[in-house]
Amino acid sequence: MDIRAGLIAILVLAPFGGAILCAVLGASRVIRSSIVLATGAVLIASALWLIPLVPFRLPAESFLGLNLHTLIQAADVVLLLIILYYGLKHKHLVIVALAVLQLLLTSYLEFFMLKGPLPVERVFCDHLSLMMVLIISIVGSIICYQAIPYMENHEHHYHILKSRQPRFFFVMLLFLGGMNGLVLFNDLTFIYFFFEVTTLCSFLLIGHDRTAIATRNALRALWMNSVGGAAFIVGIIAAYHETGTLELQKILATSGAGSGVYLLALALLCLASFVKSAQFPFQSWLLGAMVAPTPVSALLHSSTMVKVGIYLVLRLAPGFNGTLLSDSVAVFGAFSFLAGAALAVGQSNGKKVLAYSTISNLGLIFACAGLNTAEAMIAAMLLLAFHAVVKAMLFLSVGAIEQHIASRDIEDMRGLYAVMPLTALITVSGVIMMIMPPFGVLLSKWMAMEAAARNLYVIVMVALGSALTVIYWARWAGTLMSDPFAGRFRPEHQPVLTWLALGPLCVGGGVMSVLAPWLYTRMIVPMLASPYTPAYMNKAGSLENVYGTFAVLPLSVVALLGLVVAVIALKRAFHAKIASPYLSGIQTGEPSMFLGPMNQPVKAEAKNYYLDTIFGEARLTDWVNLGGGILLTLILGGAL
Amino acid sequence: MTRTAILIACGLVAGPIIGGLVSGMDRILTARMQSRIGPPVLQPFYDVVKLLFKEPLVVNVWQAFCAYCYIAAASISVVLFFLQSDLLLIFFVQAVGAVFLVVGALSSTSPFSQIGAHRELLQILSYEPLLVLVVVGFYLETGSFKVADIYAWQHPLLLKLPFLFIVLGYALTIKLRKSPFDLSTCHHAHQELVKGLLTDYSGPFLALTEIGHWFEVVLLLGVCTLFWATSWVGMAVLLAGTYFLEVLVDNTTSRMTWRWMLSYVWGVGLTLSIVNLIWLHQG
Repeated sequence: MDIRAGLIAILVLAPFGGAILCAVLGASRVIRSSIVLATGAVLIASALWLIPLVPFRLPAESFLGLNLHTLIQAADVVLLLIILYYGLKHKHLVIVALAVLQLLLTSYLEFFMLKGPLPVERVFCDHLSLMMVLIISIVGSIICYQAIPYMENHEHHYHILKSRQPRFFFVMLLFLGGMNGLVLFNDLTFIYFFFEVTTLCSFLLIGHDRTAIATRNALRALWMNSVGGAAFIVGIIAAYHETGTLELQKILATSGAGSGVYLLALALLCLASFVKSAQFPFQSWLLGAMVAPTPVSALLHSSTMVKVGIYLVLRLAPGFNGTLLSDSVAVFGAFSFLAGAALAVGQSNGKKVLAYSTISNLGLIFACAGLNTAEAMIAAMLLLAFHAVVKAMLFLSVGAIEQHIASRDIEDMRGLYAVMPLTALITVSGVIMMIMPPFGVLLSKWMAMEAAARNLYVIVMVALGSALTVIYWARWAGTLMSDPFAGRFRPEHQPVLTWLALGPLCVGGGVMSVLAPWLYTRMIVPMLASPYTPAYMNKAGSLENVYGTFAVLPLSVVALLGLVVAVIALKRAFHAKIASPYLSGIQTGEPSMFLGPMNQPVKAEAKNYYLDTIFGEARLTDWVNLGGGILLTLILGGAL
Repeated sequence: MTRTAILIACGLVAGPIIGGLVSGMDRILTARMQSRIGPPVLQPFYDVVKLLFKEPLVVNVWQAFCAYCYIAAASISVVLFFLQSDLLLIFFVQAVGAVFLVVGALSSTSPFSQIGAHRELLQILSYEPLLVLVVVGFYLETGSFKVADIYAWQHPLLLKLPFLFIVLGYALTIKLRKSPFDLSTCHHAHQELVKGLLTDYSGPFLALTEIGHWFEVVLLLGVCTLFWATSWVGMAVLLAGTYFLEVLVDNTTSRMTWRWMLSYVWGVGLTLSIVNLIWLHQG
């Protein structure tokens, strides 16, 4: 067998196999953990093995002697029936209706439309797929690793007697397999199947704790993503009707000469992507998803689920290059970037800040895909990779913090450095990687801004959004460090697997940032097929084009020097005299107390500004949904 | 290679020297407007040197770390400007410093530095989008984000970007910590929050924040020179006029609230920027 086909099979099927093993044998903690560790290791190894082999296209006719197309179609029907079952079980009419609709449309496509030769090149693996596979397999596995100690604590904390972890890891691993399938196949019906797999997995994971609110939010995620699924299948039908093929690459190559139905098909696929990526007005399912155990949020936000939408739109972008659809996607994305950042400013709930920041960053990636120039596409792809790593790290840190202090509120994390110094520092480094040069997220934001400069709507919204982004991150980092002198640095105790997850993500994020120019030449440049050209040059570690330059390597070296000096200053400050914070009164022995009236000690307190009269959810959500809705209408209408 | 080294050295030296001198002249000018004589022009240097030799005293050890990061970022941004690098990148590097200054202030639990820090964040929120749009204006006119290409442009940019210059003026007023935008920290003892952001920085660390501030002033004045880069006289007149106006505004207005600042600066600043950018699009 071709080694490439073998690797594809492993990447998709190993997680499925691991998942089934977890469900069957997972009652024992040791066996379950070993299965998760082994599956992750296999995934990481195969993903790395894939690097030298791309790009390639493969036919994939049969699997174990069965016709693959029939197999997937059958699985798809089973999947939709499962969704239907859950809809009926919870008496949720919308889910039932959408599942039935999707069943009907799939059957219509299968029995009445499909004629002639079926796709020959079912597998399409270029560098974009490779990057996705690497993110899914490496970051996804790391998250699963951290979930092992996390879930142990979680069940202990909630006094769950009969462990439901076999089911949990079953779904987690299934999710990874589904994601790998989605990015590796070229046949739209296959992509649709895996799209539905991720919908179902997210539903099961969000509802994992089986509380009333978990069930409600899980159902919301299911119905919203079913809307996306329905849009997807209608999009497939329209695309097949127009081009007579189900191969995504062929569909994009025809580029339909701007015909209405063709663009409508792409617009519907974009709509499905926006739902998956929780863009406004579909954000509520992702916000509701934070009721799930934190590793689930980490998985949904960084390496899976929301990245489905990004991946699809980046794939489709060449197909709508130069159309009104493209421009409206750019404006829609920029709007999401701004609105997400504004809503994040109004939040004191740490996980919600992360959630809005995800929506915001994804918005920026969509904006880049809509701008559709080479520079913008490069920015989008870099942001995709860096965001996955940093966001996973931030979510895992917040998970660790939450289990330690039993709160996810930023106000409760005040002075966290005194309690959990290492986790606090890792979180602060995550924040720094989000907003500061020379790190990758900012590098891609810089590229995005320079690429957007000629589009007035986009650049104004991106400029405002980027300032808002600085606010909520800086505020959080400062709050973590806010403490009267904390004494010497002593790392707190955490399970080994937690450090093994956070450490590599933190170091990896930094190293990737320094190597960004080479990441660009080795990974991004091969992704850029026509109509895009490699717009930047890697000049001795600086990314440069005609109108701009970002000295990644020199700046990293200088930043490292600055860091060394600052750390020396820090070490010397340990020997400096310690003063009490200024309280404008007579100090007592306690650093946060001063002597008030009648010589009574008074505690001085200050809380953060969350500006919720301006940026609060109650104030903004309706307007933002309205704006998102109008822009979506623009996208769908503009396609016609 | 030697040219690069010389430029780096120039940036590192020019920052504190020009920034300190500007600050000294600012104090004299302010004093004259208030019918005082004012300190000698070198007074800011005396102050900083005195602070540098004080015993280090911290509330939270991370203040020391943040003060060094602030001055590092501020000086790197000036050096990048002297190397005529990418203007957007330069502002991002400068923003690093601004963020570290805030984080350092937040690391103290004093309500004065906490409130000052939050106000500083609101100031950043007010001016940062405007700076980005000014840079975009340069790009739309000259086709480049690089300082080298903007300096090489043959016509005075002020004529094409008049509104964006006013917008930069707003950002400059906020960055120079001048009234009516001196919300987070200021030099005037009569305000409701005086040192705010800098309350708990002391001794050598306070000196570092002052030198860092000088670097930032030099950077912004450097950006002002881009508006009339075709002649030395034009550049000098523009700079002197702008700075005189800043001091005048500082002495004739009173501090406003952050709500007013945010709505006013975004309202007027964005409108002016967008109008000017539309002209450039059409031109």
